[in-house]
Amino acid sequence: MSTTAIRTAHNLVTREPYYQPVGNEVQVFAAAYHNQLPVLLKGPTGCGKTRFIEYMAWTLKRPMVTVACHDDLTASDLIGRYLVKGGETVWVDGPLTGAVRHGSICYLDEVVEARKDTSVVIHPLCDDRRLLPIEKLGEVLSAPPEFCLAISYNPGYQSVLKDLKQSTRQRFVALEFNYPNAELEQTIIEKESGIDAAIARQLVKFGHMTRNLKGSGLDEGASTRLLVNAAKLMVSDVAPVIATDAAIAQALTDDTDMLKAVHELSRSIF
Amino acid sequence: MSDESRQNILNRLRIQKDLEKFTAGALVRHPNLEDLIANIAALERSEQDQIYRGTELLARSNPELAAHFVAQAPAAFHAMGSDGAQEWLDSAIEIFDHRGLGFAVDYLQDVNSFAEAYAGRHAQCAFDQASVFLRHFVRGLGGRELRIATDEETFTDTEALYLPESFSVFPEAEQNFTLYKLTAVHLWAQTWYGTWRYQVLEKLLRHFDTDVVLPIFNRLECIRLDACLARELPGVAREMKAFGGHDDDEEQVWQTWRTLASVLEQRDASAEDSLQLITAFIGAPLPPLKLYQGEMFAGKVRQAMFARIEREKAAFQRAMEDMRNEGDGPEGVGADAAQKPLVDIQPTDNQTESDLNLSMQVSVDGKLQQLPEHLKDLVGSILQDFGEIPDQHMDRMDLGEYNDDLQAQSGDGADEAAADLSAEGAFTYREWDCVRNRFREAFCTLRELPVPPGDESFVTETLEKHRGLMKSIKKTFEAVLGESKLQRRQSDGDDIDLDALIEAYADFTQGREMSEYLYTRYRNQERNIAVMFMVDMSGSTLGWVNDAERESLVLLCEALELLGDRYAIYGFSGRTNKRCEVYKIKEFEEPYSLEVRQRISGIRPKAYTRMGVAIRHLGHLLHQTRARTKLLITLSDGRPEDYGGYKGKYGIEDTRHALLESRQGGIHSFCITIDNEAQEYLPHMYGPANYAVIDEVQKLPYKVADIYRRLTT
Repeated sequence: MSTTAIRTAHNLVTREPYYQPVGNEVQVFAAAYHNQLPVLLKGPTGCGKTRFIEYMAWTLKRPMVTVACHDDLTASDLIGRYLVKGGETVWVDGPLTGAVRHGSICYLDEVVEARKDTSVVIHPLCDDRRLLPIEKLGEVLSAPPEFCLAISYNPGYQSVLKDLKQSTRQRFVALEFNYPNAELEQTIIEKESGIDAAIARQLVKFGHMTRNLKGSGLDEGASTRLLVNAAKLMVSDVAPVIATDAAIAQALTDDTDMLKAVHELSRSIF
Repeated sequence: MSDESRQNILNRLRIQKDLEKFTAGALVRHPNLEDLIANIAALERSEQDQIYRGTELLARSNPELAAHFVAQAPAAFHAMGSDGAQEWLDSAIEIFDHRGLGFAVDYLQDVNSFAEAYAGRHAQCAFDQASVFLRHFVRGLGGRELRIATDEETFTDTEALYLPESFSVFPEAEQNFTLYKLTAVHLWAQTWYGTWRYQVLEKLLRHFDTDVVLPIFNRLECIRLDACLARELPGVAREMKAFGGHDDDEEQVWQTWRTLASVLEQRDASAEDSLQLITAFIGAPLPPLKLYQGEMFAGKVRQAMFARIEREKAAFQRAMEDMRNEGDGPEGVGADAAQKPLVDIQPTDNQTESDLNLSMQVSVDGKLQQLPEHLKDLVGSILQDFGEIPDQHMDRMDLGEYNDDLQAQSGDGADEAAADLSAEGAFTYREWDCVRNRFREAFCTLRELPVPPGDESFVTETLEKHRGLMKSIKKTFEAVLGESKLQRRQSDGDDIDLDALIEAYADFTQGREMSEYLYTRYRNQERNIAVMFMVDMSGSTLGWVNDAERESLVLLCEALELLGDRYAIYGFSGRTNKRCEVYKIKEFEEPYSLEVRQRISGIRPKAYTRMGVAIRHLGHLLHQTRARTKLLITLSDGRPEDYGGYKGKYGIEDTRHALLESRQGGIHSFCITIDNEAQEYLPHMYGPANYAVIDEVQKLPYKVADIYRRLTT
């Protein structure tokens, strides 16, 4: 087994990621990119936001940096900091700074999770100035035309503390994502997992059943990602109902009644 | 004699001696003591212990009774296992206490009938055990949301599935549970695969004598639905085969029917085909209903369906009208209808066969758009009834009704005179008039009124009633509170902040000043939240809703006290723009005192729901408090409505405007409602993720606290 360390700033997407366009999102993103506008991706989890960015990075032939935001992520985690190495201090770029220097696509996943002070660095970078102030270095980086900032956000979360401020969201070109329609979703499942069409169709049907339950006991229905996961298990000879239980039902809920309902729904299809 | 048999004999002697001691010799009179002891010795050790304990317990009351217990115990353990035997013993003690020795002895001796009843009870699956599961399951299958209820008959009226109180057809509880599931699926299939399409029902009622043909129609539809289910839900179909339950003769009759009606098993068969076959089957011997098959009641379906069609038609037309208005910009409200864009709804092109999961799309002036999320349920339900969107639904609303909806507020003279209220202590607020597209300045007069204190025992009763729930609420809220956070860069603290230290050292080596904020410290995250609860006190909350609202408030207050969030509670109601009222239940600075509790208990339904002005007033109060996060939560049971044209679109638009105004002031709004039709207007008023619909009033207290926790963490 070998692992390869990837220098984050140089992470070129070398193989074409499988992405099935749903609407005109590819065109809009490309146009935004060429006009140096930042992009906001809205949509539920597992509907293909990250895959889309990878695909665009591949299409546009730019390296890509992904930062999964969490509630302790501060501005200096994005910009960089001094480290001490053998009695000397060395400046190390953060992912955002790296992306600006190399003209990469920087993708901040679930940006509402990050601390509020990150907006300080995001804002000047997102309007027409396209500047990244690095206070500690006393530098202001001007982003090259190739640089692009993309953030994602799930509007379905109902917490008032995790809302994207107007001042932030109004700097972005926004693209809305949703689960693909049944046919497309079936194709995606087939392509991603290599499962045969009949089972993929049943999986899509099962996915819709769980989405019917959204708001009546489930916070979210099964995402396309979960359906693909279940399909992969099935390809490895796991029985369908066991695969959906493990990959979907248990991932969606802990509620016993709901688990039983999802289990029985799966049993009714397969 | 082998060691083993010697051991056995010793064992029996020990048991006999012990039991005789417990029963004070009463056991000696048993006619066949030796066999009895042998039987007891053959039981498991744990069961023997249980007999010992039972005997000891009974002997304390009466040794005779204990002896009878011992005599029947082996039989009881054989028939019911240790749980059943314990139940049998417990009820024997109860009978002894209440009715005396004679009855208790008879009862103990009749262990067989108890065992029989016990087996029946444990094989049975009761509705309560299955109902939650069934609701989720049927919801998951798709289509219109169906209630799950019990009734003497098993049927569906297309709004609800009526199921028996319990099933005890099979010896195993698990099997009876499955039968519940299959019955529910079969009834659901009637609503999903078009048994009760409007057109079908019309023909059925018009051309046939339903008493005669419904049983035939039911069986023909069963053939068709079984075939549909076999195609779409093979897992269910497999179970149905196993659970249909018939002997060969009866199965033969079904087979004959299936052969004659084989056309119904084809993919494109519809309920209309069943209708056409009915005459051919009149007089033929009826096969018995399958175990999972319900009855059919055309009258009940008709009643439920017609009410729904009217309701949904109005809602659909309203939605279409909204779309037309949205399409034509701000000045369009008064514009001629002819200038409004043409809105049409049609199936998307790539439909697959008879799939009812139709995806519809909207075309506005020929431009195709996705169907808005909040309309999907409504359109889906209409499609279930008609298979298409009927032309009448596309008609514009009757002009009269529509005008009424959008009539500008008239300063109704009579009302004003009757109000006769001085302006003293009153606040005036403006109101958004969506017909004129501007504000009516100082249009609403609002007063803050006290709530007459109610009986404080309501609070204690509620706490008692929901004791278990309160415990879990407290636990989850404590977890929120306990979420301590590592604070970095403190001037002192528990640990060294390495990042800060390294930075400081870096600064230091570069000759700059070293920071003194080098420590980390755990501290509970400070919650800086002020929340205003706005409680609907309109007349429509009378009864259940009012109780549920008050109960929710009690639970919520307890939880909020724990969190230390600043909160206020106000009720709102009113009649006309001159008499808007908010009722002060708890102010922000007020402690949760006896008076507050009495006021909560004293909340009573008043008049109407003029929401906009209440939001403006309470939003204003909320605005004045200092907190980083400000939250306005509305508990409501329906759309805004008041005298004098404050209803329909007018009311909704004013409320929406008031919410937008408060949002500009940095206030987050959220609405918790029990109105099932809220999907139509709440997303428009509060925004797509800012509301929660609770489908059963009883659940309100359970849900409100949970939603609040989710909102603020």
